[in-house]
Amino acid sequence: MTWVAWRLHRAEGAVVLAVLAVLGAFLLLSGLPMAHSYQQSGLAACLAHATDSTVRGTCGQVGGAFQNQFGYLLPYAAFALLALPVLLGALVGAPLVARELEQRTHLLVWMQSVTRVRWLSVTVGLVLGGGLLAGGVALALMRWWYSPFAQLLGTFRPPAYDFSGPVLPASAVLALALGIAAGALTRRTVLAIFLTLLLVLAIRMPVELFLRPNFAPPVAVTWPIARGDNPPVTVSTHVWEVDSGWIDGQGHQTHGFRCSSPSQTSLQCMQADGYRSYYFTYQPADRFWTFQWTESGIYLGLSALAVGLAFWLVRRRVT
Amino acid sequence: MTTALQALPASDRRIIEPPEKGQRMSNALETTKLGKSYGRTWALQDCTLALPAGRVAALVGPNGAGKTTFLHLATGLLQPTAGSVQVFGMTPHERPKEVLPRLGFVAQDHPLYRGLSVADLLTLGRKMNPRWDDALARARMQKLGIPLGRRAGQLSGGQQAQVALVLALAKRPDLLLLDEPLASLDPLARREFLRTLMDAAVETGMTVLLSSHNIGDLERVCDYLIILSAAHVQLAGDITEIVRAHKRLVGPRQDVSGVASVHTIVESSQTARQTTLLVRTNGPLFDPSWAVEEVSLEDIVLAYLGQQTDARRPVSSPAEREHDVEEMEGVQ
Repeated sequence: MTWVAWRLHRAEGAVVLAVLAVLGAFLLLSGLPMAHSYQQSGLAACLAHATDSTVRGTCGQVGGAFQNQFGYLLPYAAFALLALPVLLGALVGAPLVARELEQRTHLLVWMQSVTRVRWLSVTVGLVLGGGLLAGGVALALMRWWYSPFAQLLGTFRPPAYDFSGPVLPASAVLALALGIAAGALTRRTVLAIFLTLLLVLAIRMPVELFLRPNFAPPVAVTWPIARGDNPPVTVSTHVWEVDSGWIDGQGHQTHGFRCSSPSQTSLQCMQADGYRSYYFTYQPADRFWTFQWTESGIYLGLSALAVGLAFWLVRRRVT
Repeated sequence: MTTALQALPASDRRIIEPPEKGQRMSNALETTKLGKSYGRTWALQDCTLALPAGRVAALVGPNGAGKTTFLHLATGLLQPTAGSVQVFGMTPHERPKEVLPRLGFVAQDHPLYRGLSVADLLTLGRKMNPRWDDALARARMQKLGIPLGRRAGQLSGGQQAQVALVLALAKRPDLLLLDEPLASLDPLARREFLRTLMDAAVETGMTVLLSSHNIGDLERVCDYLIILSAAHVQLAGDITEIVRAHKRLVGPRQDVSGVASVHTIVESSQTARQTTLLVRTNGPLFDPSWAVEEVSLEDIVLAYLGQQTDARRPVSSPAEREHDVEEMEGVQ
């Protein structure tokens, strides 16, 4: 049965391998000069000896130059790494059941001596395993490529967060699982592809925007406005700055204020309006892996639900 | 041949062979009040029949009569909404592990993985079936002149049908189900397809059930007939006995209630002077006013299929028909 699943999906495996090869070539071609410059410019040495408080000060010039030279690559890499799991789900996951039904080959393959539950187990196992592997390879490539930036910018903030830990392979598995379920549900490949895109967005956006910042309560720092807008704590580049603003007279957090009189300085203005202090909330750097595994767990849990639905549909409903 | 007052021997009266107690295993396929509905529409309803092992049976009915639904229920692809279906005494959708290895199925339009070569398809069969007969599969391909390296999508329709059939045959099934296997084939391909099928059937003694909307294709190869129309089984039984039991009665225009009280009128037509009936005889015909003629199988099938346009009459199950026969014998 494994041979059958492999034979029927090896073309997709080859395409995924080709995509990884192209990605790898892009990362290698851009990453090698980057790594070279990182060492040569002295940035690596500087960052190695820098304490958190000196990161911005001491390495600022060199770091700025490095960012100017290579920073333009970041959006490309980030986009590619966000798109890849989604494409995997839409182009490999969605057709997995839907194409069999559309081309009616389920009437051939389900009528062999292997039950369709076993057929689905082996096929889904192979495809999800492949997705996990591809995600793992992409993760390894990205962690190597991004390593200079990781020192400079940290990995906790988006978009680096999405390709710096197990969330990357987990999101590949999630997209595949959603695709498989969508295919079993709609029984139409094209419809399933759109449904997969929709589902991936509908899950990942709320998780990123609303759940992730609150996996653990952010650490909050407040200080009187008279002390100026620099936090009284040293903020490492490795923390994730979640939010910052002012606390008004009623004790509410706000993100802006109006100055009613142009003659006042902004400090006088704020004081006149009753603003009392600045606040700043962040997720400390040491929570990175906890967050990665929490989010991966959510994605894998949802994947299990989606795969369960696909099994139920194939067993009970689909024909 | 036209004879009045023709009496049938008693042994010919039982059209249906009902499943006998203690002999259930001798039926390859058995259904009891089997029904499948999609929403409010019944694709198949109240279907009770038994297909004895070793038969080559035709499942005949117009398009949309429920043939595919019936076959998919028998394979376990579908689950019944009502009643039960048993293959070798097992419910297919509940015990797929036991049933699937004994079942061969060629679906309508014989779907294949078009991108796979014939050799790959045979490997698929070998990997997925414990009873797979690789030598048989390869020998048949060679005999049919189908190159193993060719992709399924590049084969002609007839060759694709043959490949699908060989895939099903090499499983060494005890029951082979074929859904409209001849529909998309030209006459020559039909003949070759049936030849491959019948060779295998004779060789192995397996039970075969083919569906078709046209009995003409199957009359030469089948010995058992199931007529399905408007989601109901209209008739099921041994073809020889069916043909023997059905008669056309031609006589002067007259009241048919006398005939109807003993026999089953399948079809009747009247002109100003003449009444013509197609009846299933349930006993001897004594009334001398009727001339009795033999009927061809095709005419019998057409008569039953024509019934669906009449108000749907309740179709008696084999068990009920058996009861009728016993009553008849009691009267005599």
